[in-house]
Amino acid sequence: MSALARGGWLALAAIFALFFLLPVAGLGARALTDGDVASELRADDTWRALRLSLATATLATGLAALLGTPLAYALARSGRGGARLAAALIDLPIVLPPAAAGIALLTVFGRRGYLGEPLEGLGVSLSFTTAAVVAAQLFVAGPYFVRSAYAGFRSADPRYEGVAYTLGLSRWRTFRSVTLPLVRPALAAGAVLCWARALGELGATLLFAGSLPGSTRTAPLAVLNAFESSAGLAGAVSISVVLVVLALGVMLALSRLTQAGGPYR
Amino acid sequence: MQLPGSAARWFSRCARRLAVPAAAAAIAACGTGDERTLRVFAASSLDEVLPRLVELFEAERGGVSVTLVFGGSQLLAAQVEEGAPADVLLSADRVQAERAAAARGAGRWRTFAENTLSLVVPEGSPATSVDGLAEPGRRVAAGAPEVPVGALTRDALALLDPGVARGLRANIVTEDPSVRVVLSRVETGEADGAFVYGTDARRGRAPDGGALRALPLPAGLPANEYVAVAIAGSGPDAAAFVDFLGSEEARRLLEAAGFRVPAAAGAR
Repeated sequence: MSALARGGWLALAAIFALFFLLPVAGLGARALTDGDVASELRADDTWRALRLSLATATLATGLAALLGTPLAYALARSGRGGARLAAALIDLPIVLPPAAAGIALLTVFGRRGYLGEPLEGLGVSLSFTTAAVVAAQLFVAGPYFVRSAYAGFRSADPRYEGVAYTLGLSRWRTFRSVTLPLVRPALAAGAVLCWARALGELGATLLFAGSLPGSTRTAPLAVLNAFESSAGLAGAVSISVVLVVLALGVMLALSRLTQAGGPYR
Repeated sequence: MQLPGSAARWFSRCARRLAVPAAAAAIAACGTGDERTLRVFAASSLDEVLPRLVELFEAERGGVSVTLVFGGSQLLAAQVEEGAPADVLLSADRVQAERAAAARGAGRWRTFAENTLSLVVPEGSPATSVDGLAEPGRRVAAGAPEVPVGALTRDALALLDPGVARGLRANIVTEDPSVRVVLSRVETGEADGAFVYGTDARRGRAPDGGALRALPLPAGLPANEYVAVAIAGSGPDAAAFVDFLGSEEARRLLEAAGFRVPAAAGAR
């Protein structure tokens, strides 16, 4: 590659990197000048919103891993054409506008929903609860985990599993000691994506779970609220910055973990 | 189940907010042809009645074409303050409008409508008074205290019988960032009642497609005032539009949309 071409290549890379970094840096700068991050952090509501966000996003990611791993495995190992279609369908919430996702959840689990109405008769109601927050996040962010896990299982050569079976290993043992180590990086990457998406979830949560401090108002909903209030941008910016810093910390920690846990290191 | 149209509208409003600066730039780029252009920045809650008012105004005035930009009062005021090309600001928040007017200078000024708080239930609801929604187990949707409708709701609760107010507070399941979302809660049937504006009571629909019914609230509630401000230097069309909002035909349209028109609506 000539020096000129390499320079052009680097310039393109730098432009795109700046496109991502500058708005985040701008947010930080705005928080330092206008916002009052310290007092915003001391506010009970902010703190509660952040705690709720961390707890629900983590729970949603845990559920996505627990339920998504068997699903992704079944889809990847199934020879039928229907499995590909199913895998594509599970991706749908990724392209669904979050507000539509919230309405979709309401049509099923809402008070007048197909499942929600009979459940209501049993005295169980999901909407406006913390469980609804987790459900909204799981619906919107879960596909990121399944998609990554599915790609991982598909790229893991089934012949390794075949060899393990011939050596007399049980199916479960094979999955645990042969397949899982092969796909661990894919699972971890999927979990990180899922967690990050769940942490930022707004539209589906608002429509399906509502927005009540302490039980359903997550950090993104608190940002939205702050934006509408007379404090305006300053309050919204402060909470956003805290959210960004928090997410950055967790993602860095997770990416270290996934690198350390890779199979060939 | 009916789709919450008001929620969809609320989200489209968010999208529109992002489009406002772009629209403003496009408007500014437009050359002035034979027709004079009047740029009106208006609170979102006026989005149904205002196009009809504008049609009437254009027909009466002649030779002027009104361009409407809708948005939240908070955002509109901030944009006008920062120099957005608005001739008239129609704000649902007097304080915000005063801030914008202080920054840009104001010509004609008028309080042209009021929106009162309304506690709505589906027409078929067994609740006939606020007490019915204060019973344990009922679900009530409200706006967050930070948004105007939520602030009005707190004022209303303070005027109610303390026992009823306590029951109602305990039944509030969500404090939403916009009145549109609050309204969607009764429209989808997720809540039994919602604290919204009189205009929402008029336009909202029950889950079964029926109308909404407003439960009587204590007298003497403060209302949300809508002010029209002609931005300084905006010319005679802007002043004429502000005057027009106080005219008999404008009042009739506003009242039909569920607004209350102040008896002492006067220019300043």
